[in-house]
Amino acid sequence: MPVVGAPVVEAIDLRRTYKTSTGSLKRKSLEVEAVRGVSFAIEKGELFGLLGPNGAGKTTTIKMLITLLIPTSGTARVLGLDVVKDARAVRSQIGYVFGGDRGLYERLSGLDNLRYFAELYGVEPHEQKRRIGELLEMVGLTGREKERVEGYSKGMRQRLHIARGLLHDPPVVFLDEPTIGVDPVGAREMRAMIASLTDQGKTVLLTTHYMFEADALCDRIAVIARGEVVAQGTPGALKSLVADKTVVEIEVYGVNDESIERLRRVEGVSAVSVEERDQLQLLMVQSAVGAEITPALLAQFDGAKIGRVVAREPTLEDAYISLVEGDS
Amino acid sequence: MTAGTAVLGAPRSSSLTSFFRVLFVGGIIVYRALFNWIRPAIYIPTMLGSPLFQILFFANLGKYSGVGDTNFFVVGNAVQVCSMSAIYGATMTLANERYFGTLAQLLATPANRAALFLGRTLPVIANGLLVSVFGFIVGALFLDFSMPASQIPALALVVTLTVVSCTGFGMMLGSIGIRARDVFFASNLAYFLMLLMCGVNIPIDSLPGWMQAISKALPLTHGIAAARLLASGETLGSVAGLIRTELLIGATYGFLAFALFRYFEASSRKYASLDRF
Ligand SMILES: Nc1ncnc2c1ncn2[C@@H]1O[C@H](COP(=O)(O)OP(=O)(O)OP(=O)(O)O)[C@@H](O)[C@H]1O
Ligand SMILES: [Mg+2]
Repeated sequence: MPVVGAPVVEAIDLRRTYKTSTGSLKRKSLEVEAVRGVSFAIEKGELFGLLGPNGAGKTTTIKMLITLLIPTSGTARVLGLDVVKDARAVRSQIGYVFGGDRGLYERLSGLDNLRYFAELYGVEPHEQKRRIGELLEMVGLTGREKERVEGYSKGMRQRLHIARGLLHDPPVVFLDEPTIGVDPVGAREMRAMIASLTDQGKTVLLTTHYMFEADALCDRIAVIARGEVVAQGTPGALKSLVADKTVVEIEVYGVNDESIERLRRVEGVSAVSVEERDQLQLLMVQSAVGAEITPALLAQFDGAKIGRVVAREPTLEDAYISLVEGDS
Repeated sequence: MTAGTAVLGAPRSSSLTSFFRVLFVGGIIVYRALFNWIRPAIYIPTMLGSPLFQILFFANLGKYSGVGDTNFFVVGNAVQVCSMSAIYGATMTLANERYFGTLAQLLATPANRAALFLGRTLPVIANGLLVSVFGFIVGALFLDFSMPASQIPALALVVTLTVVSCTGFGMMLGSIGIRARDVFFASNLAYFLMLLMCGVNIPIDSLPGWMQAISKALPLTHGIAAARLLASGETLGSVAGLIRTELLIGATYGFLAFALFRYFEASSRKYASLDRF
């Protein structure tokens, strides 16, 4: 058992470089510095979020914590156990769930997938049945467990992944985009389930690209960009980083890159993000100035048709955008 | 449990119980998951149909060309067809983990690796034995294969050991398949090389010298030789040397297979070399 007060998950200056090569005849070797000195500590019972853009190094960080990758340098401990030296002990104490629909034995039923992993985690035979039943109920697969996984929908697979990760009732759980591909109602149920994990005293590390999900679930968040932690704190604290800002949302039909560049250069503008919608782009412009900047912004679109324009309070998503865009 | 310390986690088996459960229970579950030909509609044509025709083909070809007697072909092929399971099946039980993207999940568990590995061989061996027995039955029913009934137990023992040894070789291909794409190409090659070089249909001493050298390092060769002697009435004692060599060869491949499996596991953590993690 860990020392009282000691963090349950601890990453100290973690680094990981991948060596890859390109080309088939003239092979050129490449080095990707996926994680570049990541440190954080997660306390018992905490739900900790790891946010960051695609390729930021979230999955790589998790893989080091769950013993699947050896850090290039730095150390990490789970429940006081070193993830490299005490890998096997760490494995038996943690559960992990990767988003996506692969990684299941397609020809087996959901139930047999769970039975196999229950054996691999050494769950006692008489305990297995109860535990599997309980988990199937929890993830909403009761009644479908005897069907082969090859006939499961994406969401059902994702639920099965979650049940698999919790079979041995691990005190520490790593969830890498667990709600990816799940319908809105299902994702809501899943969020309630994730929240219930910490109620049971488990420590959870979660990655997600859904900011409202992170806002609703996480006690603390680390934002990671290009392999480095760029901010860390409660969702409230991260929001307060942009509390003095205003966000102007502008719908534009066919905006070009030049206009966006010009927007970025308007005095007072600190970040601009673009979201593609069906026929239009939704621009979110953060500025320190307030709604009065709007005319100056609208002047930057030479002729493009403009739709709805609203000024609003910043959200966690805006804080996130400002963090990952801020120093790019 | 003291107040304030929530002890979490499902009750776990002792490591010995878990070892045997992963070996036997886990081995069977995962075999059903990874062996491609488990459904009767595929099992019957591939695992029984093709050996049937292989035996009929070579025995009739032999009869026609006058190379050897029926027993020579029936014993050789009936033993060799075990590699339908011992080569292809064994390759599948490891290499298919990669296909399903389940390797990361598997390697993230604390399960004992020897139990994980050995557990997969048991159904492969059982299945290989079944295919060989079927081969002998085909020989007795459709060809004029005969042997003293008193020799059956000794022959059964030798065939079993040969299947075990051949499985060791198959597991080596499986381990390679954890790392390499398209290892079934190598399994095909192995199956036909063994058909050519292990004295299944061509007596070893009529092979070119270099092939003879290879055949001595392959599984099956010594097992088939021993099985032929037993079928013609020799005692178990007189083939003890052949059996020992067969087992030694199989065990060597088996250890190599496990060492490769562990090596690829270790190097995947270091070099991120497994496709999906
Ligand atoms: N096995 C690998 N070999 C080479 N490079 C890799 C490998 N895995 C990841 N990378 C690279 O490392 C970087 C970080 O990847 P990682 O998967 O950790 O990002 P992520 O934050 O999880 O992204 P996403 O949000 O898209 O899941 C990326 O540049 C990626 O291309
Ligand atoms: Mg990722």
